[in-house]
Amino acid sequence: MTFLIPTRRSTLKLMASGAGLLAAPSIIRPARAADSVLNITTYDKFLPQDFIDQFQRDTGIEIRIRLTDDQGKQYNLLAAEGADPTTDIVTVAGHRISQFLASDLLQPLDTDKIANWGNLAKPYQGAPQLTTDGKVYGVPLLAGFEGMVRNTDYTKASDSWELMFDPEYKGMTTYIISDFLSITMKYLGYDGDYVEYVGKPEEAQAATNAARDFLIEHKDMVRKYYDGASEVQQMLVNEDVYVAQSWSGAASKLIMDGFPVELSIPKEGTYGFLYSFNLVKNAPNPEAAYKFFGALLANPDVGAAMVRQSGFASAFAGVDALLSDRERAAIALPEEQIARIQFFAEVNRDMKNEMIDKAVAEIKAA
Amino acid sequence: MKNPQNVFLTGFYWAFVAYLCIPLALLMAMSFKDSNFISFPIDSFTLKWYASVIQDKQFLGAVGYSLMIAAIVTLVATIVGVWIALIAANEAIWGRAIIFALACLPAVVPGMIEAIAMRIFIRLIHVPTGTFAIILGHTVHAVPFVVIMAMTRLRSMPSSLIDAARDLGADNFIAFFRVTLPYLGPALVGGMIFCALTSIDDFVRTFFLGGYQTTLPMLIFAKISGGMSPEINAMATLVLIATAAIGLYAERRVRRARN
Amino acid sequence: MNDKKQAGMPARRIRYNSWIGQLARSPLYAMTIGAIAANRRARLIVLIAVPLAWIAFFNLGPILQMANISFMANYPVMDGDAANYTLAQYKLFFAEPLYFVPFIRSIIFSLIVTASTLIVVYPVAYYIGKVIRPASRNKALLLLLTPFWAGEIIRVFSVIMLLANRGAVNALLRELGFIDRPIPMLYTYFSLGFGVVYLIALYMLLPLYSSIEKIPNSLLDAASDLGAGPFQRFRRVILPLSRDGIISGCSLVFLTAVGVFAAPLLLGGPNTVIFPEIIAQLFHGSNDKWPAGAAFSIIMLIFSLATVGLFMRVVGGKNVRLM
Repeated sequence: MTFLIPTRRSTLKLMASGAGLLAAPSIIRPARAADSVLNITTYDKFLPQDFIDQFQRDTGIEIRIRLTDDQGKQYNLLAAEGADPTTDIVTVAGHRISQFLASDLLQPLDTDKIANWGNLAKPYQGAPQLTTDGKVYGVPLLAGFEGMVRNTDYTKASDSWELMFDPEYKGMTTYIISDFLSITMKYLGYDGDYVEYVGKPEEAQAATNAARDFLIEHKDMVRKYYDGASEVQQMLVNEDVYVAQSWSGAASKLIMDGFPVELSIPKEGTYGFLYSFNLVKNAPNPEAAYKFFGALLANPDVGAAMVRQSGFASAFAGVDALLSDRERAAIALPEEQIARIQFFAEVNRDMKNEMIDKAVAEIKAA
Repeated sequence: MKNPQNVFLTGFYWAFVAYLCIPLALLMAMSFKDSNFISFPIDSFTLKWYASVIQDKQFLGAVGYSLMIAAIVTLVATIVGVWIALIAANEAIWGRAIIFALACLPAVVPGMIEAIAMRIFIRLIHVPTGTFAIILGHTVHAVPFVVIMAMTRLRSMPSSLIDAARDLGADNFIAFFRVTLPYLGPALVGGMIFCALTSIDDFVRTFFLGGYQTTLPMLIFAKISGGMSPEINAMATLVLIATAAIGLYAERRVRRARN
Repeated sequence: MNDKKQAGMPARRIRYNSWIGQLARSPLYAMTIGAIAANRRARLIVLIAVPLAWIAFFNLGPILQMANISFMANYPVMDGDAANYTLAQYKLFFAEPLYFVPFIRSIIFSLIVTASTLIVVYPVAYYIGKVIRPASRNKALLLLLTPFWAGEIIRVFSVIMLLANRGAVNALLRELGFIDRPIPMLYTYFSLGFGVVYLIALYMLLPLYSSIEKIPNSLLDAASDLGAGPFQRFRRVILPLSRDGIISGCSLVFLTAVGVFAAPLLLGGPNTVIFPEIIAQLFHGSNDKWPAGAAFSIIMLIFSLATVGLFMRVVGGKNVRLM
C-alpha cells in the first residue's frame, strides 16, 4: 500500500509529540482528588450547566460528570469497581434499584442531613418507593411508567393491551421483552411483579410460562425487540412500528416534539418506577454529595431540565409551573389512568429476575 | 480500460463506493432538516443544528480528547504490535502459534467483556481510571490488528533483503529499521488506520476505564439515549468533513513529496 | 551467524549517510543498542521479552480475571463471603439448547459475513491495486476510507435511515410509484448482513489491497503472454499470490464479526438473535449473571480462535509458517 506512508521526519515529529503528550500532567493526574470534588454518573443534560456553575461557585466543590446511556453499563461499572468506587452519585432507574441493593453497591441516606428534603412532591415525601427496611436509598428525581404508545394516524384508539396483539398490526409492534413480559402476566391475570409468589416458585413459574408461551405464540406481531428509548422513538418516527410498549419518557418526548402518537395506560394496568440519585457505598466524597442533594431539591429549575430531557414527570414540587403548556400536556394523563400504575415492589426480586431473564432468553431463541 | 474485465471492475468499484457513501450522504442531508425527527422526506432546511454543535464546548473538547487518545494509542500499539509480529513470524522461536493466538485474544473478546475484565484488572494492579487507563485499554485492543497486518506481510518478506543489508554492514537493529520496517510500511499504515479507527470509535472500553472527561463516542451515545436528533447528524457530518479534509491534505503532501 | 565474531571488534563501516547511519556510528549507539545487537543472547531477550511480557500481562491478565469469575457461583462476592467455585456455568452452556443454538447461529452468521465480505471486497481491492493508475490509488482508497470515520453507531443509524419504512429507499420507490406500501427491510437478516458488512468491510479491504498491490505486474503480463485468459490468470497467479491478504483479511473480519454486538442489537429483528446478544443479556440483565456471561465468553473465545487457526491451516496449506 502506498497510502500515506509517513516520511521519516514526520514520524519523528509524531513520536516526539506523542511523548510530550504522555508526559503531560493532565494524564498522570489521578482520577480521584480531595474532598472538594463530587463525581456524578448521570444522563446527558440532566443537570443544567447553570446549576452546576452556581453550585461550584457557592460551595467550592467541583462537580465532575460521567455521562451514561444505559442502566446495565452503570451497574456493571460499579460492580467492577467493587469496594473502591470512583463515583459518588449514580442515577438508578427504579426497576434496577433492587439489583444495586442486592449487590450491596449503595448506602442509605441520612435524610436529616439533606436540606430541603420537604421540597419533594406529595407522593414522594419520605420517598416510600426508595425505602427498604426503613432506610431510604435515594433522592427521587423523576417518575415514569410503562405505557402503550400508538401512532394516531394509522391505529384506532384502545384502552387495552390487546392492541399489541391485534392482527391488524401484525409485524408492526415492538416492546422490551423483560418489561412486557411482566405486563403480559398482568394482562393474562397473573402478578407480573411476583409479590404474590413469595415462597411459591411453582406457581410463579407456571404464570411466567403462560405469559412466555403467549408472547411466543404472538411472535409474528413483533417487528423488533428493542432495548433503548431512542430505538422505539426512531421506529415510531420511521413508521416501522405503529404500536409499542414504551417507557413514558420516550413517548412523552415524541409528543412534546409534535409527533402524532398517543400515550396511555391500558385498563389492565402497568408498572411504574422512579429515577433517583443514589449515594454509592464507600463513595469518596459523601459530604459533598449531601450538600449537592440539598442544592438540588432547592431548585425546581433542575427538575424542569430533567423533565425536558427525559420526558418523565418530576418528583420535585413546583416544577409544573416552569413547564410550557405543551410540555405539561405531554406528561399529564387522566387521573383514572394514573391510578392504574403499580410501582415495582422490593420483595421477591431474586425469583422475579431469575424467571424473567430465563423467559426472555427463551422468547428470543424461539 | 479497454477490455470488458476492467469495465466490470470499474463499475464494481463505484457500486461499492455508493454502498459506503449513500447512507452517510443521507445522514448528512438529515443534518439540515428543520425538525426534531429523522425521517424522509425533508421538507425544510436549517443550519441551526450546526450552530448549536459549533457552540457546544463539550463537543469540541470531546473531539480533541478523542484525537489525543487515538494518536497515542496508534503510536504505542504500532510499536508493540510490530514487536510481537517479529517474534510470532520468527521460525526460530518455539510456540509461535500459541504466541500468535494469545496476541489475538483482545480482538476476539466482545468489547464489553474485555472492558469489564480490564476494569477489574487495573484495579488489581492499582492503575487509576482516567486517560492512562483508557489509552491502555484501547492499545491492548488495537495491538492484534497491527500484529495480523504486520505478520502476514513479514511472512512474505524475502530473507535475502535482510542478508543484503547485513552484507552492507548493518547490524540487526539497523537492518530492521532500514529494511524490515520500510518493507512493512504499507501493512503498518493499514494497521495504524485500524488503531486510530478503533480507538476513536470505542465507546464501551472508554466508559469502563475512563474518568470524568468525555470522549466523542461517549458524548454521542449519551445524546442518542435521549433520542436521535439531527444534532447528532450534524456532529457526524463535521467529523466526516474534517477527516476527509485531513485525508486529502495528507494525500497531496505524499504526492508532492514523491514528485 | 557470525555475530559473536564481531562482538568487541571495531564496528563495521556503515555506508548509510542518513540519520540512521550517523546514529549507528555514534559511540552512544555502540555502547547501548549496538552492544545488544552484537550479542545474540541479549538480542533474543530484548526481542522476545518485551512482547511476551505485554501479552502475559495485558492480554492474559484481564482474561484470566474473567476465567476466574466464570468458575464462581456468583459475582460480585459480598464482603466477608468466600467465593464458591463451580463448573455449573460451563455445564449450563452445553445443557441448554437455549444458548447453544444462538452460538451455532452466530458462528454460521460470521462465516457467511466473512465469505460475502471477501467476495464483495476482493474486486474492489483488485481494482485499486492493479487496474487504476498508481497515481490515483491514494484517492481511490481515500474515498473508501473516509466513511469509516463517522463511527460505528452513526453508521448503524445511517443504515437505518436508508432501509426504514420511511427511509430513503422506500421513499424513493414510493415517489416513483413502484409501491403503495413500504417494503419492510429493516430488522431482518438482510439488514443485519447489510449493516455488518458495511461496518467491517475495511478490515478486509486494507489487507487484501496490501497483498494484491505487491504482486509484480510482470507476472501478470507473463501469464497473459503465455496465453492465460482472465479467469486462469486470476486462479493461477493472482489468487495464490494474494493468499496472505485473504488470510489476514478473513481472520480480521471473522474475529470482528463474532464479537460484533451493537449492530445486531440495532439492525436485527426478533429472529436474528446471535450469541454476543445473549452474553450481553447476562451482563446487562436485571439479575447478576456475570459468571455465566464470563463462561460463555471464554467458550466463544476459544472456539473463534480455533476456527481462525483451522482456517489459516486449511487455506494457508502446509507451507504456512504461521501455525
